[in-house]
Amino acid sequence: MPRNHLASSTAACCWIPLFALRCEEARRPELASQPCALLAPDASRRIWQVSPLARRAGAKPGMTVSQAIGLCPALRLCEPDPVHYDEQFARLLAALSEVSPVVEPAELGRAYVGTDGLEGLYGEPEGIVAAIERGTRKWERGTDERSSSRCSAFRVPRSALRVGWGLGKFVAWVAASRAKPGEAVIVRPGEEGKFLASQPLAVLSLDPDTHRRLRQLGIATLGRLAALPQEAVVSQFGAAGRRMWRLAAGEVVERVMGREAPEPIVAALAFFAPVADRAMLAHALDRLVERALKDPRRIGWRVQVVRVRAELEHGASWLVEATLKDPTADRDRIAAPLRTRLEQAPPAGAVERLAVEFTAFAPGTAELQLFARDASAAARAGRQHALRTALQEIQLRLKRSLLYHIIEVQPWSRLPERRYALIDYEP
Amino acid sequence: MNPDQTRNAEGGTRNGADRLRALNVPQRVKVQLDEQRRPTIVQRATLKDSLSVAGNGKRVESQGENWRMDDEWWRQPIVRRYVEVVLEGGGRVVLFEDLITGEWWMQKPV
Repeated sequence: MPRNHLASSTAACCWIPLFALRCEEARRPELASQPCALLAPDASRRIWQVSPLARRAGAKPGMTVSQAIGLCPALRLCEPDPVHYDEQFARLLAALSEVSPVVEPAELGRAYVGTDGLEGLYGEPEGIVAAIERGTRKWERGTDERSSSRCSAFRVPRSALRVGWGLGKFVAWVAASRAKPGEAVIVRPGEEGKFLASQPLAVLSLDPDTHRRLRQLGIATLGRLAALPQEAVVSQFGAAGRRMWRLAAGEVVERVMGREAPEPIVAALAFFAPVADRAMLAHALDRLVERALKDPRRIGWRVQVVRVRAELEHGASWLVEATLKDPTADRDRIAAPLRTRLEQAPPAGAVERLAVEFTAFAPGTAELQLFARDASAAARAGRQHALRTALQEIQLRLKRSLLYHIIEVQPWSRLPERRYALIDYEP
Repeated sequence: MNPDQTRNAEGGTRNGADRLRALNVPQRVKVQLDEQRRPTIVQRATLKDSLSVAGNGKRVESQGENWRMDDEWWRQPIVRRYVEVVLEGGGRVVLFEDLITGEWWMQKPV
């Protein structure tokens, strides 16, 4: 079997719990000292993530807004900004890829770093973990001493980062889930069984029914589960049972799978007659960027460097290149610097053929796909931005926001006035 | 429950931490009835003095469905008789009589 050079058996799991909420706190520091909650990005208008202060007051994810407010009167509600979280996570991934080329995003705020071979650079696992922490710290400051990359800072409090190191992704994840904020737990090779045995079942991602059945059977730890005969677990829980038994027994080593950056993506257009009109060229640029973005190889990646080539009449040519400060998959953000260059330094003659090339990429995340990719995500972010600006203006003029959400209070109630309510809109 | 009990100065009702404002809060009205206890004229009552009448009231053009609702009998019983009416001018509203206090209220139809 060919060996995948972007795979690794030893793994470091980097985890920032409540990543989205942390991003909001980093953006608005006043939230850190208040109980706050994020609304779900979907249409349910339920609570998505709650801060520890709010949780202490009784608010929980999945609650309706009215339930959460009832339990925690001082709760600050925030509108979600998935595009921002996604960008921050992409920066975290970029920071991690400076330490190891093998980086696998798992979910928003959790990524695995393959560490096979890094011992030659950093020594013991402690050294590797320290390198990972240093890497994220550098990006927090927005500078990287070794690299000339110009990405802006990754601004999530470092103390929130938890790192777990071990053989395989599962052990690394369990170790990270046991680590305190800003600290790391290292599980040395050979110690996996002992380490896993004492861990609670909650570290396995089980459906609630399986979890309940195991609890009713008196099985609370991975050790208790692994002590059962594998066949018995399989006969009760099927294929999922086999997988959870093997994970609990430390018999599975899931490797971290890195991703190869795609080859350059090119979209080109040959004009029937040479074109010198800038408006028409700008329009063609937009279409080409759009076409290149639709290339299936681009999915999961954001564009970092874009280049435009033009073949001119009489054999001349024109070339511009733009490095995007924030890698993106949004057409307008990619096309904007190209349009500026087209205005400032246009081609010296009429264009016969125009080509757009994406030549460098930054990793995207699975969450990006979850939150709706590219155009719709950008549209949502645009709407959010417009709403926020309008709200600021209203607050400046009238001292109050006067904008409200409509939320469900008791939609099942037979009394119409109990079904819905208004609550202040706080983006 | 008397809907007026939770009404605040802003004209809405607030719950919990005083941050939720209920929607479709009933408005106090004075209703003239015919001999079959069907509403014939609806007059808006002001908040300050629930029995003082604002304007001359509106005639009921037609009456739609009516129904009775009994709820929350386990704590503070709510007993209402609802009547859907069309007022002169074409406005469609729902009136209800609080059968415990005898007061009439008006609400938007759902």
